[in-house]
Parts: sequence; C-alpha cells; structure tokens
Amino acid sequence: MTNVTRRTALGLGLSAALMVGTTGRSYAADPIKIGFPANLTGNAASLDAPMLNGGKLAAAEINAAGGVLGRPIELVVYDTKSDATVISTVGSQLIDSDKVVGMVAYSDSDSVLALGPQIQKAKIPLITPGATSPKLPSQLGDEVFLACFGDNVQAAVGAEFALNKLNAKTGYLLTDIGTEYTTLLSDYFVKTYEHGGGKLLGKDSYKTGDKTFTAQIAKIKALPEAPGFIYAASLVDEVTLILKQLRQAGINVPVVGGDGYDSPLLLQVGGKAAENTYFTTHSYIGEGATPKVQAFMTAYKAANKVDPENAFAALGYDAVKLMADAIKRAGAVDSAKIRDAIAATSGFDGVTGTITYRPGIAVPDKSVSVIGVKDGKLMLASESAPTFIPEP
Amino acid sequence: MSDLVYILQQMINAVSLGSLYALVAVGLSIVFGVLKLTNFAHGDVMMVGAFTTVLLIGVGMPFIPALFCGILGAALAGLLIERIAYRPVRNAPDVTRLLTSLAVTYILENFGILVFSSSPRNFPLPDALNESWQFMGGAITFTNINLLTLALTFASLIGLGWFITKTTLGLGMRAASEDMSAAQLVGLDVNRLIVVAFIVASGFAGLAGILWAAQAGVIQPQMGFTPLLKAFVAAIIGGFGSIAGALLGGFVLGALEIFIVAFLPDAITPYRDAIVFSLLIAFLLFRPGGILKPNREIKL
Repeated sequence: MTNVTRRTALGLGLSAALMVGTTGRSYAADPIKIGFPANLTGNAASLDAPMLNGGKLAAAEINAAGGVLGRPIELVVYDTKSDATVISTVGSQLIDSDKVVGMVAYSDSDSVLALGPQIQKAKIPLITPGATSPKLPSQLGDEVFLACFGDNVQAAVGAEFALNKLNAKTGYLLTDIGTEYTTLLSDYFVKTYEHGGGKLLGKDSYKTGDKTFTAQIAKIKALPEAPGFIYAASLVDEVTLILKQLRQAGINVPVVGGDGYDSPLLLQVGGKAAENTYFTTHSYIGEGATPKVQAFMTAYKAANKVDPENAFAALGYDAVKLMADAIKRAGAVDSAKIRDAIAATSGFDGVTGTITYRPGIAVPDKSVSVIGVKDGKLMLASESAPTFIPEP
Repeated sequence: MSDLVYILQQMINAVSLGSLYALVAVGLSIVFGVLKLTNFAHGDVMMVGAFTTVLLIGVGMPFIPALFCGILGAALAGLLIERIAYRPVRNAPDVTRLLTSLAVTYILENFGILVFSSSPRNFPLPDALNESWQFMGGAITFTNINLLTLALTFASLIGLGWFITKTTLGLGMRAASEDMSAAQLVGLDVNRLIVVAFIVASGFAGLAGILWAAQAGVIQPQMGFTPLLKAFVAAIIGGFGSIAGALLGGFVLGALEIFIVAFLPDAITPYRDAIVFSLLIAFLLFRPGGILKPNREIKL
C-alpha cells in the first residue's frame, strides 16, 4: 500500500466515524457526499432527530439498491445544537472541507436562514425536509428547495379547519414572536381566517422559552365572549405548557396549531391537557395510514426499533430520496446540474405526498393532514388542500 | 367578569411567578453576600435538584419525599462545587472567580446533556397537584402546585429569616458577609460559614429548580439558564447581595412581567422583555444599589 492510498483509507475511516447511512458494504467508488446538518440537541431536537433517522433509512435503501450513478451516497452528519452560530460553522465545514455536493437540512425555517447564505454563495443546492417558510427561496436564493408545503398553506388549512370542521366563527390568536416560523404562521392564519369570515376576538404574544402564560390566559378569560377556539402559533415546548395552563384555568376550547406540534412531546408532556388539540402537518403516520406510509413505518421500525415519531421522519426520508433522484437525473455529481435537476422535479412520489416544482417556484403544492388528539391518541381529523392561500 | 376580579387573578399570577423568581434570587444573594461571587452555577444546581427529584419519582418515590431528597441533592452539589472549584480560587482576582463559576456551569450542563441527553423530559407531577381551584364561577383559578410553591417559598424564607437572625451559624454568616476578615479576626471559622452559606443557597436553588420544573412540566439540562437570568435581574432591582432585596426584587419582577402583558395594549406586550431589561439598565445607571440599596457596591 502506498502512502497515498493509506492516507485515503485513514480518511475514509475517519469520515466513517462521522457519517451515517452506510450499509456496511464496500464500494470501489468514492461515495457521493450529501451534507446533513441537524439539530440533534436543543429546541428542535424532537423534530430533527426523527428526520435524521428517516434520512439514514433512505440512504441505506438507496445504497442497498446499488447507490446512485454506480456510487454509494454518504450523509455527512453534524449536530448543530439548535444554535445559529454552530449552524454557520458547520456550514463552512461541510462546504469547504467535506465538499458535499448538496445538503438536506432542518425542520425549521430559522435554522435554514442561518445556513442559507453560505450554500447560496458556494452554489450548493439545499433541500429542506421540514422548514416551512414559503419565503425561504425568495429570501435566500435559487439553491433552496422545500420538500414540504409552505406555512401559508398549512396556516390556511388550520384556519379553514377551524371555520368548517370545528365551526368556530370566533377565535383568539396566541403568537410566539421568538421565531420566524411562528410569526409567519400567525400572519398567514389571520389572512385566511378573516377571509373566510372568522372573527378574531383578540390576540396576544409571548416569546420562545417562556414558562408562564397565566397573564395571557387571564386575558382570554376576561373576554366578554369566549372564543370558539384558540390558534396558537407555537413550538411544541411552549404549547404543551399553554395547554396545561389553559385547561387548569378552565378554558377547554379547541387549540389549533401548525406542524411545530408534531412531536411526541405533545402527548408526553401535555398529557390530559392535550385533548382537543389539532395541528396541521405533513403526513398522518399511524393506524389506518396509506399503504405507502405503512411500508415506511415498517422499514423505519425495523431500522430504529421505534415507530416513526412524527411526520418529520417521513420528510427526512423523502428529502434524501429526492436528492438522490435528482443526482440520478442530473447524470453527474455536479452541484449546478443537481440544482437544475431538483428544480425540474415533477411527480416525485414520496411518503408525504407528491412533489412537483412549478417553474421558478421552489415550494411544492402538497396536501395537508390535520391531526387531532382524542383519548390520549393522535387521529387523522382531515386531509385537504386549502381553498384560499395567502400570498407568501 | 368585572375588572376587579381580573385584576385579582392577575395579582395571583404575579405572586405565583414572583415567588419562583424570589426563591432563585435569594439563593444567588446568599452566595454573593458571603463570597462576593456571582455564582453562575446556581442555575445548574437548580437543574441537579430537579433531576434528582424526577429520577427518584421515576423509581417510585412519592413526590414530597422526592422533593426533599432533591433539595438535599442540590445542597450536596453546592457543597462539592464550593470544595472542588471555588475554595482553591477564593482569594484569586474577581475575574478568575467569575470564570471559574462559568466553567462549573458548562461542566454541569454538559455533564447533564451527556448523561440525560438535552431533549426535554416530562416532570411526573402527581395529578392532585395539577388540580385547580375555581372561585367566583371559575373566574379566579389557581392550581395546587401554585399553592404549594407559595407555601414552600414562604416557609423556607421564614426558616431562613430565623436561621440568620437567631442561630449562631446564621449570625456568623451575616457577619462574614459584612466583613470577611473582621469575622475571621473575632474568631469565626470562616471556612465553615462559607460551606454553610453554600449549602443553604444550594438548597434554595434545589427547591426553586424543582418547583420551576414542576410548574413547567418538563426538565432538561439547560433548564437553569432562564431562571438564573431572571434572578439576576430580580436581585439587581431589589438590591444585590441582600436577602430582603432579592426577595423584593423577585416579586417586583414577577409582577412587572405579568402586569405588562395584563394591562398594557397588545401592541406593547411583545416588548415585555425589552421593557424589563431597560428597567434593569436604568437601575444599574441611576440606582445601582437597587430598591433597598444595601451598603456595598456591586462587583461582578
């Protein structure tokens, strides 16, 4: 063995320690590196960890089937700790030293915003499995694609669900002003709800990390007329506390929110207070799901020993499959060609629905599942596309 | 519902939040009073207390005994921190001691993340404590855990008051916080007093951590940061280093946070934290001694 190959072998060994998604088979060809930074610790961990497991599963399946263009794919994974500073450091590392050809990253818009400028500058295409801000492509540039619906779509479905299914013509709005995701969600919700004839009796705000919502709740109780429901544009950590404190204060109206609730924590921490909660998300993963989702559930359980925790597991899976599909269609391991191939995606059949990018629009039109909590369990309450979608 | 009932409910909310802030701030002030050390690790001692309680409940211990064990666990953690980290640098410059306490914070927090992972876990509060009391046809509500928090806060503060005014150890602790070298000159065992101060302060941290987590319903290794920050603000508003000041500051801060949301227009409520921290800066600029103005200058 010459020095050079020994060094390569050492390098491979080292990267094997970092990477995930190998099948244990050895390949003659170098793997195709796809960056997969994820918030495995911190606020977003309960979404990103299942997302990574889904992504790993997709990579393993792709590699077992012979890889892409005759080469295996390798997910280069780093924990970015739900911290914008770490995200940007890891971004440079993925681009400059790991030399990834594309990235699959994050379940929240704020993290994608932290990474975006770098991938845009380096011209590396990025598919985000779960960051739902429809503004991301216009804020960051043409390298950014969403594998999920936009917040304007899910907020619209949430609003129409409240109006039509819950028959709630009056509502109250609580917004976490600490994140881009929740503030956008809240704005879009108001547009559709008021467009559909709903009336907001009031609105209030709080910040990510708050633990006490009693002041806001006392205000809701003091309203001359009780609202038909409460829309809480919130992340799961806060909404579980909001639910507990609402129920303790004797307010039992339905609470509706977005895919930020889609975490096992909703039931674990919310407990009984989570009853009568509804949230919009990407896919219903549970009893009675479609055959495609069932197949995904079986494979996920076989690989991870647990059922998929939430829809983000399926989104991570879909996003990695989409990236691999695009590399195949590009016919070359070249970031520019891969970007164009992603943009040309049409009718990609994923677990979470079909992905098609209309020319110049990097947000797919996907249907939205509304999941409700009943008797301590999640159930599919409706599945629909909204009739009125606010402009991004 | 009449305005009066609304105001009453918001006052209950303010006292309930304020009592938590006060508990954290009092512990912080005890250590600062004796050692002139800004103990960043205080928040992590809270975490130790909360985790101890949750783990013990997990193995089947009822809530109340687990709570006391959690307080003991926190006190023990405080004792060890003092012995291992702070004592060797006791006479070092302020910057060294400040950085040591930051280092302890990082070590404890990352140890927690390694052992328990950083994802939040449920705090298994007994259902009975989550029950709420309703008055005036449900217009006024508060929960048993609110009541327990208030009761334990006042009981522990009365206990502390008795300890520092009536016992030799407590009097010694106050003497040491007035003037460490003078206390030594009149024959007080300063080492022992500092150890006692740490145990008491950490016990308070443990109690605060458990109650904080019980109200929030979750625990995680990073849980100590926010309460610590709030306690700093409370202590500075009230008068840093003074126990009465910390107590007052805690309730003032709790009331401020609740009342800003409760009584100001919706357009202003998003600026709640900005208002609170502006007030903090105003205090530091114009009345650095806080409301009670204890007789010493603030040093970090």
